[in-house]
Amino acid sequence: MLRLGAEPDIMREMELDDIFISRLQLLIIMSKAYLLEYPLGRHRVKSILENAQCVKGDAVGLAEDLDFIDSPEDAISTLEFDKIFYQRVKLLAVMAEAFAKGHTLEPPKKEALEKNLQSICGAITFNQQISDIQFLKVA
Amino acid sequence: MREENIIPNVKIAVVDEDVIIRDFVVGTLMYSVNREVLPFDNGFDAWVYFEEAGFPDMVVADVNLQEIDGYTLLTKIKERSARTIVVMISNKWEHEAIVAELGADAFLAKPFGVNALFELVQKFVVDESVK
Repeated sequence: MLRLGAEPDIMREMELDDIFISRLQLLIIMSKAYLLEYPLGRHRVKSILENAQCVKGDAVGLAEDLDFIDSPEDAISTLEFDKIFYQRVKLLAVMAEAFAKGHTLEPPKKEALEKNLQSICGAITFNQQISDIQFLKVA
Repeated sequence: MREENIIPNVKIAVVDEDVIIRDFVVGTLMYSVNREVLPFDNGFDAWVYFEEAGFPDMVVADVNLQEIDGYTLLTKIKERSARTIVVMISNKWEHEAIVAELGADAFLAKPFGVNALFELVQKFVVDESVK
């Protein structure tokens, strides 16, 4: 039997923070696949739009929460990102929605997307290797 | 470069009563395979659908389900459709040995992320023999 996910000693229920980070990682992969010109399909478009909407909503909410937190104990989230990070995430979601809807991103916008991806990946220490997503080349 | 292909018309179902986790798993798998992924919020509805519409190629189900629990769903699926890949999700390590004994093909331990779901696709849904 194949075993994936958390090691036994750190298994626990998934929190909203886990889902936010996981959805953000998925959005990063979706964006990298777009930049590599991997094919889109009807279901991929639907998945990108739904994921971008979720990530954008969470990013806006988490950024707003920062204004109302007086102490770490008051925080809903245990994530330690600043407002600029959430702005970058929101921008990534907007760009993902644009390419999923078929809007062509011109080279300067693609460059901006790449820079934004690098910044976000650095903040969450996430580096999905291209070799890991080869199977996405087939739609 | 290795040529990889998704099994044609692959059918995947996700059974989880937690809508947030279910939607995340469904969305990730749907993106991976570019096919519709069937969501169910309880084991009974999933079982009724499988009996009427046919068994999917892969079922991803939480151990803790209403009406028909995950162990029962796993057992019934394997009895009726041994070819169906069954992946069981849990937040308790004690469940791993039990689902292995009942015939699960994979155990997905919470918390898990995108990489674990991609690995499932790579392992069970990518057909390297299709050219």
